[in-house]
Amino acid sequence: MTELLGAILPYITTILLFASIYAVFALGLNLEWGFTGLINFGHVAFFAIGAYTTVLLNISGCPLIISVIAGVALAGFFGFLLGIPTLRLREDYLAIVTIGFSEVVRSILLNEEWLTRGPFGVHGFDRPFQDAVPYQHYNTFLLILFVAILAIVYFALERLIQSPWGRVLKSIREDETVPSALGKNVFSYKLQSLIIGSAIAGLAGTMLAFYITYINPCTFKPIETFYAWIIVILGGTASNKGTIVGAIILWAFFSGTKFIDRIVPVPFESHQMGAFRMIVIGLLLMLLMMYKPEGIFGRKEELALSD
Amino acid sequence: MNILTARNLKKHFGGVKAVDGCSIDIESGTIVGLIGPNGAGKTTMFNLISGFERGSGEITFKGQRTDNLSPFKIARCGMVRTFQIPRALTKMSVLENLMLAPTMQRGERIWNVCLRRKKVLEQEQTIKEKSMGILEFFEIDDLRDEYAGALSGGQKKLLEMARAIAIDPSLMLLDEPFSGVNPTLSRKISGHIDELREGGMTFLIIEHDIPAVTKISDRIVVMNEGRVMTEGKPEEIKRRKDVLDVYLGGEG
Ligand SMILES: Nc1ncnc2c1ncn2[C@@H]1O[C@H](COP(=O)(O)OP(=O)(O)OP(=O)(O)O)[C@@H](O)[C@H]1O
Ligand SMILES: [Mg+2]
Repeated sequence: MTELLGAILPYITTILLFASIYAVFALGLNLEWGFTGLINFGHVAFFAIGAYTTVLLNISGCPLIISVIAGVALAGFFGFLLGIPTLRLREDYLAIVTIGFSEVVRSILLNEEWLTRGPFGVHGFDRPFQDAVPYQHYNTFLLILFVAILAIVYFALERLIQSPWGRVLKSIREDETVPSALGKNVFSYKLQSLIIGSAIAGLAGTMLAFYITYINPCTFKPIETFYAWIIVILGGTASNKGTIVGAIILWAFFSGTKFIDRIVPVPFESHQMGAFRMIVIGLLLMLLMMYKPEGIFGRKEELALSD
Repeated sequence: MNILTARNLKKHFGGVKAVDGCSIDIESGTIVGLIGPNGAGKTTMFNLISGFERGSGEITFKGQRTDNLSPFKIARCGMVRTFQIPRALTKMSVLENLMLAPTMQRGERIWNVCLRRKKVLEQEQTIKEKSMGILEFFEIDDLRDEYAGALSGGQKKLLEMARAIAIDPSLMLLDEPFSGVNPTLSRKISGHIDELREGGMTFLIIEHDIPAVTKISDRIVVMNEGRVMTEGKPEEIKRRKDVLDVYLGGEG
């Protein structure tokens, strides 16, 4: 029994580590899309900016905590820069510009070797409390740290959402003409939402770097953005709780299918398996849309409402 | 003293001259009715005055030029408008719809939410009580926890007006406030509008219900084909044959 537990525990730790990182990542998107109605198709860019800024600063001698703060702040700052020209326009402009931006970021990561070390990526940076925690317990420690970060982000967001500030965001999502007519500066609120959402993605990026200890441009492919969307939709748009559950389900699924060939024979090579998993995720999402379109924690009655 | 003056407003949509050189003066503390046949340009006038549509001409509100301001800034100056087709915030509760309205709430600023939680909560409580009072007046208080999207057309109309009143504006632009509202309640609302006017509020009201609007208005402006056709006291307007012609297509 203890043997089995010993074999399973690291496996569960891995799932939970990834789930907590992606839950934070997706919570940023949920603020933007779920609560404000902003369509961000380049969320991964902020993930990458957070990760890269942190590790590059740290590697050039900056203390870790300051590197993390800088990574989060820079991700937020880029949210601000992207928001300024796009958020006054129709909502689809943000979607287009963010897609483009995430590809620009990735190509800078690939090509500007003087800054980003190019395709070989970055490793050898510090990890939090790496000297204080024994190596064999480090992942357990990291999990506790990540769950704590997730909890802080979650409760902070919940408090914001339930405040009058959050009420304005929701009104923008519903129909931005109304808050404008009531004297709310819609542009400023959208910008705030984008900045905070991006900063949260940046934080998730540094978490990812700390866990996987090596990052390169391939870590931040556009598909990462869609993992965040899957998580938000799966959990139920505009539910932070749902987002966390969605992240756990997605990673349990990823890890589960990774080892499925050991249990039942599958007729694929391992690289085909990756593609197959995406097909299955697509199918599952379609089934979800057919049978539980509001997501796990979404409210069904909301879907029936008309304007 | 005029709270609002609009000079020579124009707004064309392609070939359609929705508003075509329209001027209007609203004296502070009065109720002005804006009538005219369908397509006369009344709603477009509201859109221009409230900043949702850009055209040409000069608009002065409380002595300040507002024709280049964005809608939210105009609203902050103390002018609020309702929409002909009510805009309920579908996935928010009726009470939330109302509590959104008051301007300059402390909790709308993110640092206040983070750092001054107690003060924010105190003000929330005040806003909530006030909102409940308004909902009671409009007789939709039992719907406070319903989604606004679940209300009937008439109830949405009431919610729309309730939300505007919750702001305590100095000028209210109401686009057909009585359409779809039951007669008893619309009399009650008329009465309330009159009370608010006594308290110093100014109203510009678009309405097709001629008896209702002539009853509460101090002055009536008649629009036709994007221009002011005539204006005057309600009794005079009611007797004008040309107005009846426009409205009834010559049958009157
Ligand atoms: N966004 C728009 N695009 C094109 N044409 C428009 C637009 N808005 C209004 N119009 C046209 O301008 C004219 C005036 O419309 P408006 O809505 O101001 O009329 P109204 O007096 O409010 O009429 P009603 O009493 O029916 O509400 C109409 O002919 C309408 O078709
Ligand atoms: Mg109209």
